[in-house]
Amino acid sequence: MEEFVGELWHKLITRQARTDFEAARVQLSELQTQLGLYFRALGGDPGKGLEGADSRLLETRRRLVQRLAGTHRRFPVCWQDERSLRLPPSIACFPEAELNTSLYFWLTALSAQLPRIGHWFVDNQRATLALLEKRPGLAEGYWRLADATLVSRPSLDTLQGAEREREMVIQQAIRQPGSVDRLPLAKGDPLPVPLWVYPAPLRALAPSTRDDLEDQGDGSRAEESLEGSRKQAERFDDSKQTDGLLVFKLECLFSWAEQVELDRCQEENLEEDPGSAAEDLDIISLSRQRRAGAARIKFDLDLPAPQQDDLPLGEGIRLPEWDHRRQALINDYCLLQPMLADDALPAPLPEHLRRQARQLKDRFALLRPERRMQRRQPQGEEIDLDAWMEFCTQPTRAETCHNLYLDRSQPHRDLACLLLADLSLSTEAGLGGDQRVIDVIRDSLVLFAEALSGSRDPFAIYGFSSIKNKQVRYQLLKNFGERYGDEARGRLLAIKPGFYTRMGAAIRQSTAVLQTQKASQRLLLILSDGKPNDIDRYEGRYGIEDTRQAVLEARQQGLQPFCVTIDDAGNDYLPYLFGDRGYTVISDPDRLPVMLPRLYLNLTGNGR
Amino acid sequence: MSKERHYLPKGREIEIFTLAAENRLPVLIKGPTGCGKTRFVEHMAERLGRPVYTVACHDDLTAADLVGRHLIGAEGTYWQDGPLTRAVREGGICYLDEVVEARKDTTVVLHPLSDHRRVLPVERTGEMIEAHPDFMLVISYNPGYQNLLKGLKPSTRQRFVAMSFDYPDPEQEVVIVCQESGVDKQQAQQLVALGNDLRRLKDHDLEEAASTRLLIYAARMIGAGLSPREACLACLAQPLSDEAETLSAIERLIQAYF
Ligand SMILES: Nc1ncnc2c1ncn2[C@@H]1O[C@H](COP(=O)(O)OP(=O)(O)O)[C@@H](O)[C@H]1O
Ligand SMILES: [Mg+2]
Repeated sequence: MEEFVGELWHKLITRQARTDFEAARVQLSELQTQLGLYFRALGGDPGKGLEGADSRLLETRRRLVQRLAGTHRRFPVCWQDERSLRLPPSIACFPEAELNTSLYFWLTALSAQLPRIGHWFVDNQRATLALLEKRPGLAEGYWRLADATLVSRPSLDTLQGAEREREMVIQQAIRQPGSVDRLPLAKGDPLPVPLWVYPAPLRALAPSTRDDLEDQGDGSRAEESLEGSRKQAERFDDSKQTDGLLVFKLECLFSWAEQVELDRCQEENLEEDPGSAAEDLDIISLSRQRRAGAARIKFDLDLPAPQQDDLPLGEGIRLPEWDHRRQALINDYCLLQPMLADDALPAPLPEHLRRQARQLKDRFALLRPERRMQRRQPQGEEIDLDAWMEFCTQPTRAETCHNLYLDRSQPHRDLACLLLADLSLSTEAGLGGDQRVIDVIRDSLVLFAEALSGSRDPFAIYGFSSIKNKQVRYQLLKNFGERYGDEARGRLLAIKPGFYTRMGAAIRQSTAVLQTQKASQRLLLILSDGKPNDIDRYEGRYGIEDTRQAVLEARQQGLQPFCVTIDDAGNDYLPYLFGDRGYTVISDPDRLPVMLPRLYLNLTGNGR
Repeated sequence: MSKERHYLPKGREIEIFTLAAENRLPVLIKGPTGCGKTRFVEHMAERLGRPVYTVACHDDLTAADLVGRHLIGAEGTYWQDGPLTRAVREGGICYLDEVVEARKDTTVVLHPLSDHRRVLPVERTGEMIEAHPDFMLVISYNPGYQNLLKGLKPSTRQRFVAMSFDYPDPEQEVVIVCQESGVDKQQAQQLVALGNDLRRLKDHDLEEAASTRLLIYAARMIGAGLSPREACLACLAQPLSDEAETLSAIERLIQAYF
């Protein structure tokens, strides 16, 4: 009974304490696509993603009931860093949903206008002014938001002294952006201003940016962040509701590692001892968690023992990599090792794929390229009037005339396709039931191969995974020269999840392989399950930019790169990598095996 | 069509084109759709006092469509020159718009015309026409990535003086939009700023960028009384995308201006 009362009390008090308007709540996920586009159109960096922001702990003045209920300590404020723009996962500040939606667009516009914050209080006002000036249509919306925000600010009567002063100045800044340039110091943090962008919380860790922090103003709590990551971790301790601390620390570690490492511009020499991979073991596990969530930490850290490993072919191939910070290719940065699973036994088609394989094979066997009328044929379905006329008007008329018919051309498909499959560790993840991603990929590769062997289009299949730049493993599964049969099928059936996803190197090598084909349409199909990543700096922006560069190179060489992914978040980054029409997200991975051949038909102009 | 074709130069293209014409060299113009290529060629033709024969290329275009063909008339068959042949005989400009759309075997007839020989062999009549001194060949294409696969044969492009066009600078584009539509400067400025926002979406979100042509369309619709929001939706959003989400976001963007 006591417990029950306690619960009731808690509910009651929480409801009392609430200042959000639940009925008008708007979710970020519903607007994400639109906001991304809006951000880019207004000049936001197209390489940045868009994510939900973690809540930030702020010490604001709380009403008694809010203190009792333990609410109003954390606020999901809007901020951005090199990786992405963070917006509150949902907004319910205002009583009308339309206003909450409009706040999302406002924050997005302001972030595009204000990529870097020097002084929180001043910059937000300045950017607001600039934005309203440049895009006068925004003014009406801004004033509505400003009015609604002012209503929700603490009443000045309830405050005293410095706090009152500070609140007055903030309200003034909202009402008349650009009119105040100093924020008075006062105890704690002011109630966050939902209309404004906040500085990135972790910038404090990058030594080079310390200077900017001096005057970030109260909103950023710069003093505290300067004390280092420990404090940060505390501040954010349960920032993610699930397994907060851990996830956050990792987040912190990686953002930090990404920046510091890049600042040092640490480059690993290929000549260096490859044994150092061992030192990275815990980073491997951390990175792994970061990618897949703490639930799936389990995995085998060991590299395959040399004798069980696939046969390396040759000494390896040196490939460049794109460093977006320098806007330059670093030559010979990656060592790609072609591998052949020489111990995989030849295998027949597995039972569960037989029916589909037969259907696909039949369908592909019927494939005809675009049918064209061939003129001037010795025989054909119709008379070639042009040829006839010409014959009649020829000054020196020959006795007999051949070639007076139109005929449909013989099927002659002038295309080649290389399928490149991501065999990284994340493919080991389960899909519900006892299916894993890798199983779906395996089935897809097999069905794809069966289908294409029906059409006789030349094709090759490779898989890849990596452990840093020195070990990009490039698995030969079927090459262009080999006829598809039990042997190649055996290799496809033997694929196993590898390590990380250094996609740029794998794409560059595939481009070179595909370049050896003479066909006029050369399709580079990439099958993936997530973003490019690796355990060195090949994370986040760096990996994305390198991959994008590799894709651009492929395209410049006349290839047609296309990505098929089962990553639901693919829409966020794939347009940047592959262009608007250069990818597709298959949200139900189970459908991948049947979708892949279909996609191939679309891409090669036979799906119409 | 006697009305003079205004053209606001973006750089030195008028001089370059004139020099190429004087030296009897063919010209290749690269640039996105609707950035003023056609307008430029028409303008130059007027300037140089030469007729212009424009051919919009497509993938069913045959060499006969360019060179000519026999037709049947009352007195039997007769030969009719195609636009290329006419320009070659009379000394005009033959402008092949979007030349990559044409099949490669079609463009082969251009080879002997576009080097020092300047001749057009007409296989069907057995003629070998020497080009008039004022004959000029001009081709254009849009090097967007959807055309990358088609491309232009290196052996073809090697024969041209090439220029690259892009959308005009904002100040210039404002002048063009005003001139071509009659809207006031402030409205033109808004349209151009919106157009430039939309151009940032090229490749990432949109296949094609908002062209000068579309900005002029929107301006004309506004001039004719449509509300700016509607005009922009109809001329700058709908033509660029079919995706509902993309359209909603563009609508928001339009609201940032009008
Ligand atoms: N420099 C310019 N001066 C005048 N008008 C221009 C200029 N550039 C573009 N335009 C306008 O843009 C429209 C579209 O240009 P157009 O030449 O048809 O494009 P393209 O041939 O490149 O597709 C023209 O009708 C003209 O009104
Ligand atoms: Mg044109």
